[in-house]
Amino acid sequence: MADLHFLANPARFRRFSQRVLPGLGFATALMLAVGIYMAFFVAPEDYQQGKTVRIMFVHVPSAWLSMGGYAMLSALGASLLVWRHPLAALMARAAAPVGASFAAVCLLTGSLWGRPMWGTYWVWDARLTSMLLLFFLYLGHIALSRAYDEPERGDRAAAILALIGVINLPIIKFSVDWWNTLHQPASITRLDAPAIHNSILVPLLWMAVSLLFLFVYLVLLRTETEIDRRRLENAEAAA
Amino acid sequence: MSGFTALLRRDLSLVWRRPGDVGVVLAFFVVATVLFPLGIGPETNVLARIAAGVLWCAALFAALLSLERLFAADYEDGTLDLLLLAPWPLELAALAKCLAHWIVTGLPLSLLAPVLGVAFGLDGPSLLALMATLLVGTPTLSLIGGLAAALTLGARKSGALLALLALPLCVPTLIFGAGAIETLAAGDGIVTHVAILAALALVALATTPWAIAAALRQAGE
Amino acid sequence: MTPKRRRLWLLLGSLGTLGIAAALVLTALNDNLVFFYSPTQVAEKNIGPDRRFRLGGLVEQGSVQKEGQLVRFTVTDTNKTVKVTYRGILPDLFREGQGVIAEGSLGPDGVFTAREILAKHDENYMPPEVAKALKESGKWKDAK
Repeated sequence: MADLHFLANPARFRRFSQRVLPGLGFATALMLAVGIYMAFFVAPEDYQQGKTVRIMFVHVPSAWLSMGGYAMLSALGASLLVWRHPLAALMARAAAPVGASFAAVCLLTGSLWGRPMWGTYWVWDARLTSMLLLFFLYLGHIALSRAYDEPERGDRAAAILALIGVINLPIIKFSVDWWNTLHQPASITRLDAPAIHNSILVPLLWMAVSLLFLFVYLVLLRTETEIDRRRLENAEAAA
Repeated sequence: MSGFTALLRRDLSLVWRRPGDVGVVLAFFVVATVLFPLGIGPETNVLARIAAGVLWCAALFAALLSLERLFAADYEDGTLDLLLLAPWPLELAALAKCLAHWIVTGLPLSLLAPVLGVAFGLDGPSLLALMATLLVGTPTLSLIGGLAAALTLGARKSGALLALLALPLCVPTLIFGAGAIETLAAGDGIVTHVAILAALALVALATTPWAIAAALRQAGE
Repeated sequence: MTPKRRRLWLLLGSLGTLGIAAALVLTALNDNLVFFYSPTQVAEKNIGPDRRFRLGGLVEQGSVQKEGQLVRFTVTDTNKTVKVTYRGILPDLFREGQGVIAEGSLGPDGVFTAREILAKHDENYMPPEVAKALKESGKWKDAK
């Protein structure tokens, strides 16, 4: 009975994802190509930072996606623990490495941006430290979910960790307001108008949407693989 | 409540019969801390500046070392199954286990740290501040460590995994604990830092028992 | 007590504990926990010589003097100022009127000797023409 329930939803999901993935992949590639062109050739240089401002077009969307990805991981964890949704576990397994990669890209590009602008690759201020912790939380989630001989136990343990780690998200977001940090405060998510001129804002938002497409594409693709893998393991165990 | 004290008494008497387990943790704490003056050299002002950070990190590692066995013995001999079936809340059982862990590691580490602080050339007020921050901060380490121990119950390579899970969550406590002694050296009071350490401990107290209970339930399934 | 009632009490206990924690943080939070001190805070705190800390503020207009590798400038928060000397390479964004964070210590003469200079940039991004037009039309709003 439990086996049938396990197969029902993932199977439907797999049919859905197989229909969507090729089109989504094409759209992602197209949007990224346009976005990169805009970022490098259309967007003007900044009045203070010159060409270096172009790092923002990757850095900022990566930060958003890594935080959004962790929020998603927690939501998936909750739906696994509360409703025992079998797809949630596989999707969390698929999403964690993608989110961790975006967090790593955010940290690396931030570091490369910090060197010329701030004069240092790294400082231990509240924003940078809390972002590094997010990366470690991702690593913990990945390691924990794969540390058990029965994968279901790893899924549930990692789900609990994802729910605890969500405390870090508001700390990252508001660290620049609560403490005197070297990192500047938010430019876009604030109550009055964004502090970015439209000629820079439009490429930034375009890149954010393109990378969101990439995120969704990678997560769907990896979830499909996880479904196949779990099926194979179950078949092996049954044989 | 009687279940809580009974479990606490049981865990403490288990340790009482095998004091070597606590002795090893304290010995690790002393040896790890003493390595720093040997590695860095005898310059007292350098040592005094890093003392708080070194002692806090060593205390954190020492507390983690003993955590791997926190639930493992109960898991293996079936005590955990009885706890899961018992009619009183598993959350309280989790709290009792963490409290027992703090009494046999956090408390002696906090009392031992000022003695080692002397070797680092810390002055009187700093030694007191070190002990105070450790007393307020180490319960958080026991609670977070307890959560990591429950999550990794029965996992492969659970020791390293436990550290990977617990260390990031302990960072705020470490920052404010070590930061308190630094502010004291700057001539400011440490009340703010102690208050924040206490707040962190209370947050851990309010949240981790639920998470530990959830982790133990899924381990027992 | 039924198990359900017991869990309810536990939940209430947890929420109460969280409330106390929040109250503690709110009463404790003041300017003690910062990445850098402003010149006003430096004046208020009477920070002694030989203690390393970070000083943050704006580089005062017209205060930068360069003598080879040696740079002298004044950091201001529009209320108090601190004189700074620094020997070394400056970050790209270091310029007059911009945010800066200097790490070092105060000398007995009240001059801050910086060992490291970090430039802090604000959250505004725009092309140079727009910045120029804004300044000319008088609509330029200062960072603070």
